[in-house]
Amino acid sequence: MIIRNLILVLLLLFSSVNASPYVDKKTLKRIAKKYKMFAKKRFYFLQVMLDGVKNGTDMQKLQAVNQFYNEVRYVPDIKVYGKKDYWATPYQFLGKDKGDCEDYVIAKYFALIYLGMSSKKLFFTYVHSTKFKAPHMVLTYFKTPRSEPLILDNNNRKIFPASKRKDLIPIYNFNGDSLYRASKTGAGTGKKLKKQQSHKKWDQLKANIRKRVI
Amino acid sequence: MTLFKQIAIILSLFLIIILSTVLVLNFNSANQGVQKRLFEDAKNTASSLSLSLGSANGDISMMSTMINANFDSGNYQFISLTDIDGAVLFRRDGEVQELDVPQWFIKLLDIKAPIASANVSAGWSPIGLLNVQSDVSYAYSQLYSILKNLLISFALLALFGLATLNLLLHTILKPLKEVQRQAEAVARNEFIIQEKIPHTKEFKDVVLGMNTMVRKVKAMFDKGNEELKRQKELEYIDPTTKLRNRKYLIDKLPEYLKIDADSKGGINIMIAFSGVIEANEKIGHREVDKLFSNMATVFKQHSASFKNSIVARMNGTEFSVLLPDCSDEAALQIAQDIRDAVQTIIVELELDTDVTFISLGLYQYNYTQNIGQLLSLSDNALAQAKFSDTNIHLDHAENATEVMGKDAWRGIINKAIERSGFNFLSYKAVNAKTKKDAHNALSISMSVDGQTYYFGQFMAPANQAGLGTDIYRKVLDMIFTQPDMKLKSSTCSLRLPFDFLESPETYEQMSTLFRNHAKKLPFKLIIEMPDKLVSQNSENVKLYKHLLQEHNIELAIFEFIGESTDYQYLQDLHPTYIKAEKDYFLGQSEQGLGALKLITDALGIDLIATGVMDAQTLKELQAKDIHIIQGRATEML
Repeated sequence: MIIRNLILVLLLLFSSVNASPYVDKKTLKRIAKKYKMFAKKRFYFLQVMLDGVKNGTDMQKLQAVNQFYNEVRYVPDIKVYGKKDYWATPYQFLGKDKGDCEDYVIAKYFALIYLGMSSKKLFFTYVHSTKFKAPHMVLTYFKTPRSEPLILDNNNRKIFPASKRKDLIPIYNFNGDSLYRASKTGAGTGKKLKKQQSHKKWDQLKANIRKRVI
Repeated sequence: MTLFKQIAIILSLFLIIILSTVLVLNFNSANQGVQKRLFEDAKNTASSLSLSLGSANGDISMMSTMINANFDSGNYQFISLTDIDGAVLFRRDGEVQELDVPQWFIKLLDIKAPIASANVSAGWSPIGLLNVQSDVSYAYSQLYSILKNLLISFALLALFGLATLNLLLHTILKPLKEVQRQAEAVARNEFIIQEKIPHTKEFKDVVLGMNTMVRKVKAMFDKGNEELKRQKELEYIDPTTKLRNRKYLIDKLPEYLKIDADSKGGINIMIAFSGVIEANEKIGHREVDKLFSNMATVFKQHSASFKNSIVARMNGTEFSVLLPDCSDEAALQIAQDIRDAVQTIIVELELDTDVTFISLGLYQYNYTQNIGQLLSLSDNALAQAKFSDTNIHLDHAENATEVMGKDAWRGIINKAIERSGFNFLSYKAVNAKTKKDAHNALSISMSVDGQTYYFGQFMAPANQAGLGTDIYRKVLDMIFTQPDMKLKSSTCSLRLPFDFLESPETYEQMSTLFRNHAKKLPFKLIIEMPDKLVSQNSENVKLYKHLLQEHNIELAIFEFIGESTDYQYLQDLHPTYIKAEKDYFLGQSEQGLGALKLITDALGIDLIATGVMDAQTLKELQAKDIHIIQGRATEML
């Protein structure tokens, strides 16, 4: 029994060592240089968390990712970036260890995608918070396209089905990747569409991620 | 191709390429802008419409109405709504519109409007995807209008740019034009000093270099000119009396003894001074020299009224006074006056008039005689005079028997002029060194009623009848209006006499002929003018030079004996060649000919010896570095 567990641990270790990390070494080095040692550690623990649930169920992944990122402090964009609204890259969000609701959603989304979750199941949902009487954004998970979504929120740290979140009124669902797929397969599209999707913020965010903006 | 053209072409191409590139980039940018606009419009519609559709809670009929309302209010290619599985729930497509744009433009651009998509939700659940594509007709019209405006503005810009470029190049390359002008002048052996030194370093160096070179060649010419003038004094001037000498007379006589001479004859007075030894003993050499000088003044005074008269000192005690067109009576009167005037001088010097006196032998010559005959027969007359009581004796040349009378000749010549009855004959001038033809010297024969008359036959009677100028006028006309095609592509020379060229009508005739026919002349023409005329360097001659140059006809000199006091006219008029009798060249001293060659070499003028009849003469000429000859000796080459 002990030998079997040891082999399992070794296999896990081996697989996690060989899989490409969520944040590449070069970016991590830059993050360490810019945000100092603690930031590097945060990314280390992120990787440990991700490795831990890599082979888990969707629910395990959602729980782990939601819990990990909800530890980050909520600070409005104007205080962090000097802008009223800014969609931070996951590197900036965890590097600074602060951000607003969109930043949580973005970080959770890309972490889940890294864990192999289908982008078709995840939506950025613009909601109205009746509790705070303010616009808000949450990440919604759809097990099937027609099933009730689960809400990953930074205010309410637990994951609840949408029906349990009476404090939130859904306004608009958005999935950048599905828009991209749509425009790519859409009838009569031009060759220049590769660079043009249907959401400005999303486009900018993807560009920043490609450029590894930290 | 000139440098100006090369630079202009390169810069113009460069400008056009730049403008075309900017035009293409501009248009592409506009194209992208318009397409981006199409996408932005579609995106805005997709976003706002998807939010509106959310309020329909998944009711397809409601959503279709909303889509219809939106579709009808804007310009769309299509709007479609698909469910989460990709199945089309509703779709509206735009109708094909007639575009006011050429088909080639549509084919060239082939605009595909991007499709904007937005998620559509009902509450928490996504229900589908909204796709919106804007209509491209507006984009085509917009872009076509942009293209037209761009083309117009760039065409105007290109025109303005090319004009500015042309102006700039002209300004920048102006010094180069001056350099080129100077270089061309140097190539033509003309001396132009560029006073305006360009600022551009390369041009400045070239101009300074050429100026130095031109100054050196000019100095060489001036040296030759000075030397030739000095030699002329030594060769042609008697130092005591400042009269011409025997050599001058001999060199000059061929001009008087030729078929087409200006004068048909006249009187040559040979004057001998007797008693010089006694005079020397009595009053001394210096006074005798003064006496000769005074005598020279008397001779000059009495001959001054005769055009082209020559007064020359033949030797220590003999003088010659050549009076063209002088009658016997006038000559006898002049002889008596000279004799009396000299006797007065002798008396004034208290010399014995029985011992010291002058004898005057008058000889009436005509153009058909040669130099030897004229001088020996003049000597005979002088010998007779010495034994005469009056010390004056007149002899006549034997008149050749004229086959035809003056009126008969006049009739024939007039017929020839009327019927263009002249034919051109050509005699070669050959370079004996290179064995190549230098040019064809044209002469004329006359054919009337089946009878042919040669130049030597008809020209003298023509001159006597006063028809010489008319013949040359006709010949000049014929050479341009009925050129001999046998001479095509060759170089021909035509000799024109002094009187003909002096006539004001000649210039007018030449101007008209050149203007109308010079370009069509099948051969290159050189007009030969007598040195007697050209060396005057008069306004008339300059006008001729300008006229010839303007029509690409060259000027040359014949009957050169180097009697001018200044050879500047050679530099100014720049003849192609100088023709002189072989005797002139053969009689020249080494220094005299050397100075002449210095000038002609500096100016690129050829020297041609005429009347070269045999190999011996040719050899002697070649020894004097004269290689181009005309005459029977050319047949031996």
